[in-house]
Amino acid sequence: MLIPVLFGVSIVIFIALRVIPGDVAATILGTDATPETLAQLRKNFGLDLPIYEQYLQWIGGVLTGDFGESMRTGKEVLPDILDRFAITFELTILAAIISWIIAIPMGILAGIKRNSKTDFSVRVISLLGVSVPNFALATVLILVLSLSFSYSPPVGYVGFWEDPIRNLQILFLPALVMGTSMAGAVMRMTRSSILEILRQDFIRTIRAKGAKEKIVIFDHALKNAMIPILTIIGLQVGVLLGGTVIIEQIFSLPGLGQLVLTGINQRDFTVVQGAVLFIAFVFVLINLLVDLLYSYLDPRITYK
Amino acid sequence: MSSVLDIKNLSIDFASKKKTYNIVKEFNLRIDKRMKYGIVGESGSGKSLTSLAIMNLLPEVLNISEGSITMQTKEKIDLTKLSPKEMRKVRGKDIAMIFQEPMTALDPLYTIEHQLVEVLRIHTKSSKKEMSDLGLEMLKKVGISRPAETLKSYPHQLSGGMRQRVMIAMALICKPKLLIADEPTTALDVTIQAQILDLMNDLSEEHDTSILLITHDLGVIAETCDRVAVMYAGQIVEETTVKQLFTNPSHPYTKGLLESIKSLGDKERDLYSIPGNVPTPFNYQEMGCRFASRCPHAMSICKTEPAMYQIEGDHKSKCWLHAEEVNLNDEQYLRVGSQ
Repeated sequence: MLIPVLFGVSIVIFIALRVIPGDVAATILGTDATPETLAQLRKNFGLDLPIYEQYLQWIGGVLTGDFGESMRTGKEVLPDILDRFAITFELTILAAIISWIIAIPMGILAGIKRNSKTDFSVRVISLLGVSVPNFALATVLILVLSLSFSYSPPVGYVGFWEDPIRNLQILFLPALVMGTSMAGAVMRMTRSSILEILRQDFIRTIRAKGAKEKIVIFDHALKNAMIPILTIIGLQVGVLLGGTVIIEQIFSLPGLGQLVLTGINQRDFTVVQGAVLFIAFVFVLINLLVDLLYSYLDPRITYK
Repeated sequence: MSSVLDIKNLSIDFASKKKTYNIVKEFNLRIDKRMKYGIVGESGSGKSLTSLAIMNLLPEVLNISEGSITMQTKEKIDLTKLSPKEMRKVRGKDIAMIFQEPMTALDPLYTIEHQLVEVLRIHTKSSKKEMSDLGLEMLKKVGISRPAETLKSYPHQLSGGMRQRVMIAMALICKPKLLIADEPTTALDVTIQAQILDLMNDLSEEHDTSILLITHDLGVIAETCDRVAVMYAGQIVEETTVKQLFTNPSHPYTKGLLESIKSLGDKERDLYSIPGNVPTPFNYQEMGCRFASRCPHAMSICKTEPAMYQIEGDHKSKCWLHAEEVNLNDEQYLRVGSQ
């Protein structure tokens, strides 16, 4: 699975970049450049070669761990991607944890107390979570905090190991915004999944044994309901690990999303290619992890 | 003999937002120690609901509106008056239950051992080793050929018959006073059915457990039970010993049921079926005798509900035909039924 997906992604992104108008030489030299200097620069980057040759050169490097250098800064691409990824990774994990803390207990509660006021409120909240766009929530949050509470999050990113407290202060708000929008879907899935499991015959068997509701819900219903919940969580985390352009922009975080965005604007082919390939790799990896979790949870699922 | 379970005048209602419908009405039943009691009836007759009511496991929309369910444990307790916590102590320990679908009655994510021992963990304070040993012993008793291996396996690795054996082991592991078996053999192959019934019989005798067997299969009743109640549309229409039921059925519905069994001898005869359909609970209220519309003996008086009449000994039937005051020449007893 891993290999063909990554291979496909590498070809698509490579061609896509070369199909869009404009190239790196033009963005570097500006509008006043003569055709000769442009051609010279293109030649330096190897952009004058036939496209398949360019691809082979690039992919050959990637296979040996060399992602090439940025066409703009001349810095190696891979270390830059990894640095950015560390930020995105931390942000995603924080957001995911926040969303689980909100979504799973509320989803269970709504599932157990079906059609009650609790259930109704949970459904409304989760619908809001899904439908209110990230950037709107982020902007409102920043405005409210700064206008009413005169609080604004610290600006200028600091790594976790340099100053953990400041780092968490910086990441908390964006993680909260991302977490609430993730929570909506997880909440709905938890609710419907729990509802469905509670209707199953084996739940009645467990109740007939005299088990407390705590055992019925947590040992049996939740464990059985976990598979569809995991699927959603896996997809969400996979997507977020690819970077969130808007949230990173609003909170000025130098994450993967920003890297790709600036890369595209500057037609920095090597950076974009490398980053996209890396994101695809992470995404496939997360899905693999989810599959492994399935088989750990459910004895009926095995992989050879 | 002392009774294990005594249900008096039980009614179960279905409450919708607008109206309350009565589903099971005036249900009386007494199970003595070591007795095997059968309830037979078509689907929708309320037999499963009654069993769930005993366990206090009725779906939310249904509730017991009247009557008592007295259980003899250390003292006499009325199950309808217990708190949820007290009821949990009865479930699994004093009353155990086996369900119709062995394929879906076990949690697919846990080993047989976990689920078998779970009952013990809830009700006893035995050590892990003791519980696991008892689990193994029970699996041997229910005739599972490789008990140690089976303990470690998951439900999907077992056949339907094996799972039902596991269910029986699970039900009897705490030595309950009453075992409720709701269609325990319906989902199984015919060859396995007899084995499972025998097993249930043998083990319940060994453990001094009474059985309440719920089925739509008169053959299963004949094979297993001592006494039997025939249910129709939420009411018991006839109640007697199994022998009486087969030799001297008295209620027209029971007669119809027995008629509709085909035996190997009579190839010539068309299969008999009772005309009409089972009424739905939504029009129970307006009906007198609920079977009247399908009854070959229907009379004008059947528009009012008959009482439960004693025929002889403890043979009871809910039919005007057995009322002493009936004078078939009287106008109100004129036949209106088709035949």
